[in-house]
Amino acid sequence: MKRLGPLAVAVVVVLALAVYPMVGSGYGTRSVLQVFMWIALAGSWNLISGLTGYVSFGHVAFFGAGAYTAGILIAGSGWSWPLAALAGGLAAGLLALGIGVPCLRLKGPYFAIAMLGLNEVLRALVSYFEGLTGGGNGLSLPTLDATVPVYYAMGLTAVGVTVAARLIISSRFGLRLMTIREDEVAAEAMGIPTFRHKLLAFLLSAIGPGIAGALTARDQGYIEPLSVFPLATTITMIVMTLFGGKGTVWGPVLGAAVLFVAQELVWARYPYVHPLLFGAIIVAVVLAMPRGVLGLLQTKYRLPRTI
Amino acid sequence: MNVVITPAMVGQVIISGLLSGVLYSMVALGLALIFGVMRIINVAHGPLLMLGAYTTFFLHQQLGINPYLSVPISMLVLFGVGVLLERTLVFRVIDAPELSSLLLTFGISIALVNAAQLAFTSDLRSVEYLTGSWVVGAFAFSKPRVIAFVFAAGLTAAAFLFLQYTRLGKAIRATSQSREVAMVCGIDVGAIHRLTFGLASALAAAGGALIAVIVAIQPEMGQIWTFKSFLVIVLGGAGNYPGALLGGMLLGLVEQLASLFLTTQLSEVVAYVLLVLVLLVRPTGLLGGRQT
Repeated sequence: MKRLGPLAVAVVVVLALAVYPMVGSGYGTRSVLQVFMWIALAGSWNLISGLTGYVSFGHVAFFGAGAYTAGILIAGSGWSWPLAALAGGLAAGLLALGIGVPCLRLKGPYFAIAMLGLNEVLRALVSYFEGLTGGGNGLSLPTLDATVPVYYAMGLTAVGVTVAARLIISSRFGLRLMTIREDEVAAEAMGIPTFRHKLLAFLLSAIGPGIAGALTARDQGYIEPLSVFPLATTITMIVMTLFGGKGTVWGPVLGAAVLFVAQELVWARYPYVHPLLFGAIIVAVVLAMPRGVLGLLQTKYRLPRTI
Repeated sequence: MNVVITPAMVGQVIISGLLSGVLYSMVALGLALIFGVMRIINVAHGPLLMLGAYTTFFLHQQLGINPYLSVPISMLVLFGVGVLLERTLVFRVIDAPELSSLLLTFGISIALVNAAQLAFTSDLRSVEYLTGSWVVGAFAFSKPRVIAFVFAAGLTAAAFLFLQYTRLGKAIRATSQSREVAMVCGIDVGAIHRLTFGLASALAAAGGALIAVIVAIQPEMGQIWTFKSFLVIVLGGAGNYPGALLGGMLLGLVEQLASLFLTTQLSEVVAYVLLVLVLLVRPTGLLGGRQT
């Protein structure tokens, strides 16, 4: 029975969310869609940064790569959007492999800033190749009201990322990733092929943002370099993961839900101080509760490590 | 492209590259110092440079102070800001895992940029003080860039002399070699950390002040400088101070050559490719550095 409780809650939540677009308002559906997107992004960032300890300051690069892949395929080649979304995830994954091979040799800060640079570079490239991407003018997708199907697709992505995190954390693979985070030299000495593990974690962490970016491109119908490669998106996924608890399964979910609601309720009225608050939250979380809300609860109530 | 590239153009590009390269070296030296002494990559380095640029801008606009005279004032102001940041926030993460210091300075960086947007608005501002070029033979030397070069070269040299010959400079180098042994020798390591952070911020501020005369400034100008400074210290080898000098020159040259042979829009891409290549071939930088 003890194991059935959480499962029952999960089933009820998933059912409620599945029914929601049929009964909820358009605004409500859109908001939940946004929460799904943030769960997918924060959960993916958590895989490489929270679990493996390689902080990425440019994870929005994969979001943007997915968005542009899907945008070009839909607008240019007339692909259907679900296929284009998968292609977006694939493109982001390939990008992660290409970038990961040189960049994952870098330790800590080197990796973080190399990723920050990657984002700037992608934005510059997208602006430069105007023929393909529309450059600074952006890329318009054919109009299509797909909010509800995109809602389900994004929800599926969020669930996929969370389930993947759950499976990874309790697997041998996840344990090895955590060993790398704690002490990479020791991990290497124990015979863990660290490079391959990091690369796989990086690849997995890129697919979710790629799909989310592709779905967002379809939903918004228009993409431009500034709207799909903003540093603010990276910041938001980091804040959400840190707040909820990095390196946990449910931390990013909790962080995404709580901070998104807070953002809608309170900070939407004061949009100008929004980044300042996020900066302050990062500083406060790092100094006061480095393991986030869930980390705090884990130590206090002896919750399982796999939460 | 049917533009013929003449030797004179290449010469011009090399001159421009070296002129901006020294500026990169100076700003990156600050980042290298903090990394060497405290083992922290200060992601807020670029935003501190931005604050230096605004200090010079407002001193010029409000009080009519000559922007070059305000370089030391900006440095002093940012020295204070740097010491304050270290004293209140950064010192808490010195021995923490790398993740903490990175995220902490990232948070500081976001907050600084946003505070600047609120206080100064996102409008482009410029210090209109000096324009035009000196023409020597076939080559043009942009006046503000030449003066920036002189300042940056002078300040970088001063920083090296300080590190090499003064007691405090030696204490900084000792701390960066081994904190424990420095402590045993009676060096107040906490004070050295504050001093280093202050000095690094002052170097960034000098860069900002000099840039304000060259190009328009805005609150988000800093991030790209964090990246470029980082690129410079990676090229030179992290924790290797002369390496920062070489790395800066190299970055300046590569950027200018890229804008000649390709296009200015892609100069950042070229810089990034350079970074990845160096890391692949020589992960410890050109002059060799410490492993993290």
